[in-house]
Parts: sequence; structure tokens; C-alpha cells
Amino acid sequence: MKRVFAFIAFFITMMSAALQPMNSFAENNSDSTNIPAESRLAITYLCGSDSVILTATLSIKKGDNTLALENAPIEFTASNGTICKLLGKAKTDQEGIAVVKVVSAGLPGDKDGMVAYVAKFAGTGKYPGAEASLNAKPAKIRLFFSIEDSLRILKVTATQKNEKGEEVAIPKETVLIYVPRLFSLLKIGEIALDETGTGTLEFPKEIVGDTLGNLVVVAKIEEHDKFGFVQGKNVINWGVHKQYYKAEVPSRELWTPIAPLWMIITLLVMLAGVWAHYMYAVYELVMIKRLSKKDKPLF
Amino acid sequence: MELQQKNPLKEFAPQLEQTSIQGYAWIIFLLAVIGLGVYAFLQQVFHGHEVTGMRDNVVWGVYIVNFIFFMGISYAGALISGTLHLFKTAWRKPVIRMAEFITVISLLIGPCFILLCIGRLDRLPYLVLFGRIQSPITWDVIAISTDIFGCFIFLYLAVLRDLATLRDYELLRLPNWRKKLYKTLALGYTGTPEQQQRLNRATDIMAAMVISIAIIVYSVLAWIFSVTLQPGWHSTIFGPYFVIAAVYSGSAVLILAMWVFRRVYHLEAYITKKHFVAVGVIMLVLAAFFGYFTFSDYLTKWYGSEKNDELLIQLLFKEFYWPFIISNYVGVLLPLLVVGIARFRTITNITLTAIVVVISLWLNRYIIVVPTLESPYLPIQDARPEWLNYSATWVEWSLTAAGVAVFCLLFTLASKFITIIPVSGIEGEEKKEDVLI
Amino acid sequence: MEEELNKNQKNSRRQFLKKGIIAGAGVAIGSGLIAAYVDATATETGEKVKVLTTDGEIMEVDKGLLKLPRVSREESHKGIPGRKFVMVIDLGKCKNARKCVEACQKGHHLPKSQEFMKVYLLQDSEKTSPYWFPKPCFHCDNPLCVSVCPVGATYKRSDGIVLIDNERCIGCKFCMTGCPYSTRVFAWKHYPEFDEDKEPYSPEAGSPGQEGTVSKCDFCPDLIRVGKIPYCASACPMGVIYFGDVDEDTVTNGTETFQFSKLISDRAGYRYLETLGTRPCVYYLPPVDRQFEVERGFGDLDPAIKERYKDTPYSKKNKQ
Repeated sequence: MKRVFAFIAFFITMMSAALQPMNSFAENNSDSTNIPAESRLAITYLCGSDSVILTATLSIKKGDNTLALENAPIEFTASNGTICKLLGKAKTDQEGIAVVKVVSAGLPGDKDGMVAYVAKFAGTGKYPGAEASLNAKPAKIRLFFSIEDSLRILKVTATQKNEKGEEVAIPKETVLIYVPRLFSLLKIGEIALDETGTGTLEFPKEIVGDTLGNLVVVAKIEEHDKFGFVQGKNVINWGVHKQYYKAEVPSRELWTPIAPLWMIITLLVMLAGVWAHYMYAVYELVMIKRLSKKDKPLF
Repeated sequence: MELQQKNPLKEFAPQLEQTSIQGYAWIIFLLAVIGLGVYAFLQQVFHGHEVTGMRDNVVWGVYIVNFIFFMGISYAGALISGTLHLFKTAWRKPVIRMAEFITVISLLIGPCFILLCIGRLDRLPYLVLFGRIQSPITWDVIAISTDIFGCFIFLYLAVLRDLATLRDYELLRLPNWRKKLYKTLALGYTGTPEQQQRLNRATDIMAAMVISIAIIVYSVLAWIFSVTLQPGWHSTIFGPYFVIAAVYSGSAVLILAMWVFRRVYHLEAYITKKHFVAVGVIMLVLAAFFGYFTFSDYLTKWYGSEKNDELLIQLLFKEFYWPFIISNYVGVLLPLLVVGIARFRTITNITLTAIVVVISLWLNRYIIVVPTLESPYLPIQDARPEWLNYSATWVEWSLTAAGVAVFCLLFTLASKFITIIPVSGIEGEEKKEDVLI
Repeated sequence: MEEELNKNQKNSRRQFLKKGIIAGAGVAIGSGLIAAYVDATATETGEKVKVLTTDGEIMEVDKGLLKLPRVSREESHKGIPGRKFVMVIDLGKCKNARKCVEACQKGHHLPKSQEFMKVYLLQDSEKTSPYWFPKPCFHCDNPLCVSVCPVGATYKRSDGIVLIDNERCIGCKFCMTGCPYSTRVFAWKHYPEFDEDKEPYSPEAGSPGQEGTVSKCDFCPDLIRVGKIPYCASACPMGVIYFGDVDEDTVTNGTETFQFSKLISDRAGYRYLETLGTRPCVYYLPPVDRQFEVERGFGDLDPAIKERYKDTPYSKKNKQ
């Protein structure tokens, strides 16, 4: 089958957008230059367990500049050639990204179950319209955790629906296993599925979870000709407990807001010593002044 | 009453009563130099610190050198006057007032130079409002303000008898406000035994205090440098080294002051060769100490030859060759030879040596501050010459000159207010012939 | 049995989330975006925008938060809860493309003369190989610059980031001499680039700059708050700079994500000038398996930039 999917995973989109920081401008911005603008729209797709996420990235090429278009309405549709279903509308953000999430049940599919997704920017007076599309068949990945012979085992199954609507296995595919991190997904392993669409992985021990050791585990089929990006998720407390720092640092170090005690004590002792002597000297001066007043009547 | 009759003030009165044309010209000249400094300062305020030669690597330049220099002179004044007082050195009388003046005046000028380094003078109150005890700058703020208080009290105690003498000397041809001022400041001191006793006690205590504070304050100043990890600064010897260097420079400045006032106010009868030699010997001893500290500091750096120490020493012997030789060889050896060998010990020679010492000590601070900043751990890789090598601009030199001018001006004015040589007995029990000389 | 186990996990997650909220721990499990932390401080426009988390969840975020949040000065002292940031720089991949420097200067509205990220050409000794050395602030765990600050204008936060409050800084430059890595820069005058930034000042953005104060690399906490890695890390075409949460044991350069501990042990990661005891939060991977000749770093450099390296042992040797 020809390569019908022109997409990349959403996180890659996010990062590539970050790689080439684009200046965004609001759609209603006025600009006086007469260079013709070219609208570019890209669509990416991610199939979850019971829903589909579509992301469209809109940018405007003007001369040598590529800028993300903000606030532009994007229309998402799904079709099987005969039925065309409106999935939703979304406005682009500062990076020109619009996202919709739809329930996968009821998506119009052809006899193979393929759905054609279209993202459309109708265009405005200033910027021409643009369209992007991709085809994918919904699929499902499930994750199961078990302990066998004191080994932590992650089992993954991948299924698709046949013509009758029954779930059947997706055999012989590669599933990548990740844990989500602050900025990206950390890959922890790969599973090759057997004929029954099942595969297992001994779960690594040293993965850090949250402060209670909980881990989200993501299993993904990526860039598949037929299924595109498919993802399944589950949670398990097999992680190493994350170290938790309290926001307030009560310690007394050289670099903390509060000084070490010995430092304060030393300083106070020294200051008290010196100023006490000053006070004594001033006291003597005051006494000298007083003595002169006492003496005065004598003169 | 007794004081008045035997009053030597008669001789010193003209010094207070009148100012010669040369005197006025001198003051106007100083004011002009200060004016230039004010102009330079305004340039810096309105155009930013870019008008200085300081850049991201050499963030402190001539200003901080001047700061260390003036603070050094000040602490020296305190140490010398305090020590001379405590040990009741017989010859101290004609020079002790100068040492006290040096202390207070340079103590007022020194901190001004660190203020010139500060990028946001409008935020100066933050030093008090948000002060962090861990910062050596906070220590410095506390120490210097404590020192200023202490030195003022000490100076006041030292001049109290003279203020009383001036108040009681009716022949003094001075405007009334001056006389009233003397009267107020004299606190009704008449020299009764109890007053004398109290005054002596307070002066003794303050003399001890200014000596110890001088050591602490100048060590704190050294720690500003040595607490950092910079090669050449990160040295345990810096505290005592700075204290010795300070007293050393101060003794030289005292000799200069003695020479100047001797000439200007014709004090040849009071300030004699004996005094020059006495202070010269102090200078000699300090020169030896200073040379010893300098040698130990550089010897360990050179011998251990850590990569960055080695680079620093290379830099000192290349780009800073002459300043290094003058400050650490000439500045050490010259006093040893001139004061050490009896034949060379003349007033002129000692004074000339003092000039060399003052210059070499200033250069010493320069080669402590600048070369280290020019040789950081990570090599400076920059195409801009002013970023690579520091050279002070006219703004910095003008303000430096202004600092010296303010010092001279305040010294001149102080000598117009109080006699430069104490005219009254310091201790009641002191013999009459000891009052002068 | 299996199902039972999985069910339990779900429950425990739910419990955790509750606890997390109560404790204010904010270890937002399964959420790459940590925008939830800035709710309280950033200006909310009321308009919601859908954004994706790293694991493909859709989250509704206030539109105002999508702009880089400028938290208040008080908030900027606290640090992002439950995080400890770390950077790893792979010297084997750097070819002095200087995109990190440029992106950083653009992001922080800096003039050309101020570089938070500097690229050095180092050679440890005569016979060792020269290499390009990108140097941000090391955000030391024992930061001497913070210790010496007289007014608390520079401070270390709970998330490890050392920041400067330019509205507190008095410009004494003590921190610049305190830092042994020549990291800090001073605004010697008011640069016109400072005026480009119209937003109110926040120490987290490090912008707009202020004359007479010190600034430096800040690990871009404003970007971190919206789930992005710093400008330098995302701008590098070679993916030299990795960034992440060290307690999560993960670093990423945007395209590759590694387990931090494994990366450091496999590639013999080290910290620069470890002997100084400053305990940096920036690790270097030694310049092995080079992807580029050192010479490539001179490729299409601005002549003024090229001039910088003329006194390095490498350039001098080449001249001969």
C-alpha cells in the first residue's frame, strides 16, 4: 500500500514547532505589504482507546517568512466517500495549532474501516484557504500489568474492528512503550506483537514515577500505513518514588535567604562589644558636660 | 586658666585666622578638580557605566582600587594614632592630629568610590532594607559605618582639649559663629581632675577600639576578594596582608602630610627630622612586613603552579610587569634602603620615599584587582579589545583625581578649624616640656 | 486477577491525585503541561483553548496562559513545585552553530553584546583535542553568586533555578566576581533591545532588562511553565542541549528523550570544574565520537565572532 499518511506524532509537532520558533500574528492583524500570502495547513492524528485527536497546524508563508496564524477557525470533518461528518471546529492558538478530540464510535468508515479526515481553513479576505487530509483506520491498544515469578510484566494487545464490528487482533506490529515526562515521552521499551496481536515486556525497574511511585505507561503504534498513530494507556505503581522537594527551603546556608546561626551570633557579639564601648565613651562625654554645669556656680 | 597663660596657641592662631592668596588659589584649584569629577560623575549617571573602562570581565576597576586605597590610609591613621596614644609615645604630639585627620577624612572618601561601582545608586537603601548577613558587602556596610562612628568619637575625644583652649583664648580673631561653635563643641570642658580622668579613660578605650576595628574592617574588605574562587584572590593570607598594606600606605601618607604642613604652616620647630625618622622607621618595619606577605602570597601561587595561578603570574610578569615591579620590589626595598641606612635618612629622602610608597601601594591594589579579573577560569574569548583588557577612561581618572582633591580640601579645611598640632596637654600629669615636641 | 490489579492501580491513581491536590505537590501525573501551576497568578482571559499533553490528553487551558506566563516577583522566588531541573550538553555534537545564542538573545530581548549562552573554543592542554563548549549558567547547588549578594537580588529556588530579580539588584557586580564561570553579564547602559519587550517585568522572563543590573541565563522558567524546554535547547539544530527534571530522571532535546542517569553513566557525563565545589546542575558529555570536525565551527561565522577565537591555541596552531 502506498504511503497514505502524511503525519507525525503530536509531540513531534509540538517540538518541531518549538525548533523553529515562529512568530504568531492574529488573523485580524493588518499588514500593508503586498506580497501574496500562502496558507499552509498540516494535519496530524492520534487514535486513543475510544477517541481520536486531530491536530491542525496553520502557518502563513509570506516571502521568506513563515508565521503561525492565530485565531483562525479550522473545520474538521471525517468521511468515507459517501458520508461526510463534521467533527468539530476549533480556533488556532499562538502557534497556529487547533485541536479537536472526538469519540471514535460512529466515525464514518469505508468497507475496510478507513476514515478520511480533513482539516479545512476557509480562508479570510487576507489569507487564502487551505486544506489537509489523511486516512486512517481506528485501532485499539490495551495494556495489562501482572507479576509473574516476581517479574513485572507488561502485556500489550492491539485490536482493530473487522467488517462485522468485532474486535480482531492486529498481528506482527511493533509497539513502542513510553512513560510521559514533563517535556516529552521517555521510551522504555519496544514490544513485537505475535500473531494474536499480543506481546510482553519485562518492565524496567528504575523508572521514576510520581511521589507515590505511580506511572502512566503509554503504548504506541507509530507511523503505520493503515492505522497511523495509535495509543493505549494505563497506570501502575511500579515506579521509583520521586523525590519531593518542599517549596520552602528552611535550611540556613550561605546561599539561603536566612543566614546560618553562628554567623548571626558572631556578628551580634562583635557589634555588641564594639558599640558597648562606643556607648561608654559617649557616656563619659556626657559626664564631662554635666561636670561643667555642676562647676559653673563656682566661677 | 593655667592653660591660657602658657598658651602656645598664639603661635598657631594665624593658621586658623587667615588664609593666604596661595591658600585660596589652592582651594579654588581643588574645587575645579572636584568640579571635573562631578561632571564625570554626571556623565556616568546619564550615560550608564559604559563611559567607564569596566566591562563584563573586569567588573571592578580603578574605583575599587581607590576604595581599597583610601580605606587603607584611613585604617592606617587609626592604627598609628591609636597605637601611639596607647603606648604614650613621647614624640607623637606633633603628628598624632594629622593621623587622626587622615583617618576620618579618607574614611569619608573611600566608601564614595565603592558607590561609583554600583550600577543602581537609586537602590542604595536596599543594602539596609534587604541586607543579607551572608554577604561580605553587608559586613562591609556594617563594619565601615561602625568604623566611621568610632573614628569620629576618637577624633572628638582627641580634639576636645584643643576646642576648650580655642574657646578660652580671647585673642583669637575669628567670626563669632566660629567662637560659638568652639564653645558648643568644647562641652564645657575646663580640665578639672574628674573631667580629665573621664576624658583619658574614654580616649584610651576608643584608641583600643579603633585599632581593633581597623583590623576587622580592613580584613572584611580583603574578604570581599578572598571569599570568591577567583585565582589570585582566593587566598587565606589576604586579611592580614591587606591590613599590613593599609598601615604601610597610611604611614607614607602621614609622612607626606607632615612634610606639607611643615612647609605650609612653617612648623619646622615642631616637626623635626626626629619625627620623620620615627614615622620612617614605622614605615620601614611595615615595608618589611608587606614584602614578606607579598612574597608568601606569590611564592605559594608560583610554586604550586595551579593552572590558573600560573596564568595569573604570567600575566603579572608580562602585561603588568612595571606595576608589579614597582609595587612589589621598589615599593618594598626603597624604604628599607633609605630609612635603613643612616646616611640616607634626610627629611627630603624620607618624603620622596613616601611618595614612591604611596604610588606603589596604589599600584599594588591595581595588580591585585585587575589581572585576576582578566584571567578567569574560562578564558576570555571576545573580539572587543575593551572586553579583553581593562583600561580606565577619563571618567574614572577624573573621579580619582576628584577623590584626591576632596581629601586635600577636607584636610586643608580641617587644619583651618583646629590646629594641626595639638596645643593643649594630653595628659594632665604630662610634664610641661613634653607639651610640645 | 489481571483486571483486579489494573483496577487497583486506577484507584490508587485517583487517590494520589486527590492527595496531590491537597498537598499542593503538583506532580501532575500524566500531564506534560504544568500550566495548572500558574492558574493563580497569570491573568486569565476566560477564553479556553484546548492543548495536548505529552501523553495525548486534551486539556482546556485558559488562553492567557498560552502566552508565556509572567509570574509575580513573589511567585518567581518559589520555584516550580516538585521539580529539579538539569541540563546535559553533548560536546560531541556541538559545531558552534550559535543557534542557541541567537534564540536565547531573541527570547530574552538581549542586545548582541549580552550573551547568556556563550560558546567557547576550549583545549584542555597542548596535546588534547580542542572542542566547542557551550556554557549556560550552571545553576549551582552551592551558588557562590547567591551567597555574596548583599540584597538577595539573586536567589536559588526549590526547583534548582538560580534567578536574578532585576528590580532588586543594586548592580554591585559582586556576583559577577563570585561566579567562577564568568556567567553573568551587566547592562552597562540601557540597550534599545530592552524596549522590545512590552510585557511587565518578571524575574522568570529575565526581561525587559534594566540598566545597571546583572543578568544571566535563567533556564527559561517561563517556557518551562508551559511545558517547553529552554530556547537554547529547542533551537540547537544538532540537539546538543538536553533539558529535564532530574528527579524524573529524564532529559530531552526536543526530539530525543533519554533517561538522565543512564545517559550520564553510559557517556561518562561530568560537571565542569567539579573541584570548585559549586555543584553545578549542568552536565557535559565528553567530546567523543564527534559528529563534526572542530573546524566546522568556523563555517559561516560572523567575522566579529570568528575574531574571538583567534587567540585560542587551536587557531594559533592553524595559523602556523
